[in-house]
Amino acid sequence: MESGIIDIGLGQLALGLLFILIAGSASLYHSLKLEKDLLTGTARTFAQLFLLGYVLKFLFDIEDYRLVLSVFSFMILFAAWTIYGRVKEKQISFFLPVFLSMMLSFFFISFMVTAVIVGVKPWWKPQYFIPLGGMVIGNSMNAIAIALERFLKELRTNRHEIEMKLCLGADYKEASHETLKNAMRAGMIPSINSMMAVGIVFIPGMMTGQILAGADPMTAIRYQIVIMVMIVGATALGTLFVVLLVRKRCFSQGHQLLLRPENR
Amino acid sequence: MIQKTIIQISDVSFSYPGKQALFTNISIALKKGCFYIINGPSGGGKSSLLRLINRLEEPTRGQILFNGRPLSSYHPPLLRKQILYIQQTPSVIDGRIRENLLLPFTFKSNKGLAKPDDKMLLTLLKDFRLDGIHLDDHAQNLSVGQLQRLCFIRGLLLSPELILLDEPTSALDDESSRIVESKAEELCLALDKTVLMISHRKFKPEKIVPDLLHVADGRVTENKWNPAS
Repeated sequence: MESGIIDIGLGQLALGLLFILIAGSASLYHSLKLEKDLLTGTARTFAQLFLLGYVLKFLFDIEDYRLVLSVFSFMILFAAWTIYGRVKEKQISFFLPVFLSMMLSFFFISFMVTAVIVGVKPWWKPQYFIPLGGMVIGNSMNAIAIALERFLKELRTNRHEIEMKLCLGADYKEASHETLKNAMRAGMIPSINSMMAVGIVFIPGMMTGQILAGADPMTAIRYQIVIMVMIVGATALGTLFVVLLVRKRCFSQGHQLLLRPENR
Repeated sequence: MIQKTIIQISDVSFSYPGKQALFTNISIALKKGCFYIINGPSGGGKSSLLRLINRLEEPTRGQILFNGRPLSSYHPPLLRKQILYIQQTPSVIDGRIRENLLLPFTFKSNKGLAKPDDKMLLTLLKDFRLDGIHLDDHAQNLSVGQLQRLCFIRGLLLSPELILLDEPTSALDDESSRIVESKAEELCLALDKTVLMISHRKFKPEKIVPDLLHVADGRVTENKWNPAS
């Protein structure tokens, strides 16, 4: 089977900027005021991806598990930081629990996929571990942010009901069970929905990439299936750990809800 | 007869995070089997006092004893079922009347308690003049007055020793208020329960002689009840 992919030269890449020019003119013509963002966005896309390209090339050449794991940890750190910025919660600190639960669950899932399901040898082989791990991190990051946002918001809005349960002898876990359930569901639904739509509504990026690189579509779909179930697993595990750990921080030892209404 | 102290508040100070002190060094002993009426200006800390007693809030200084032991020495869920706090605004879960009344029995700390049967629940509803209501009705369809009584019944099923009522009658019509108040009096008189009730409106006790706790300006002062006031 032919595996050669047509290379994109620098000139062709520059030609691609035409698309940005089209978007830019539209913005100028209709005063959308997006020119600045378009410019930074384009520059960042180029810079970040070129950098990624060099990093990956370097990783693939060196083949050192310590390096692979460091890059993996750095990606998670960055994801945790992104969540931290997105979820606006000032009363309790949740960065550490988020980072630790992401590390634990994402490492477990990525390891299972490369070592057991795909059977890569060694399991940390960068060509597999980094892109697969990256997909897990990127997709579950959204789920965790959604679940966390929902959880903290509902703890506040349902404060009255939670305290009612506490007053009737519930421990903090029982009192917040309903809230935890809703948050987990909110986090997991998008990845379950995308399992419903995949292949009909959209062709996933990873599969597209493999097909362009000359892979047999039947191989590409198998990888895609693994990716999809892996994301669902990582989402479930990641949101569960994060919400459980953060919940613990929202209550005191005396089973008191520490999150206050904003105005008190 | 010397009455036992049920709640001993010693040198307690309290403030909400980032706010100025609500209480400074308050000390007071509450006697078992007594009926206390709490009054004072709004925002003066009446609810916070009750929340401190059932440990929904933690004093910033000092300690509170329940039956001679610090609150922190009790497992919080077990403490709170003995010191029942009934919130000012009734809160129910989305479900039927029966589910709501039996909600406390779904919690681990209440597993040892005998679950009341339908017959007993209906008797209690009738007792609180909620006879028209079926156990299969949805709780959401009740009026505030009915909900408040429902929450009161639900709490009593745990047979608490001390009952904290946070202005139970503020949202109620006269009839509901009278029912709740006379029930509270009955609990104190017949079952020797200690009752603390925040009350704004003119409450005229019929069977008991309450003590008055005035909460204002960071202090709690105990006064004799003056029916004329």
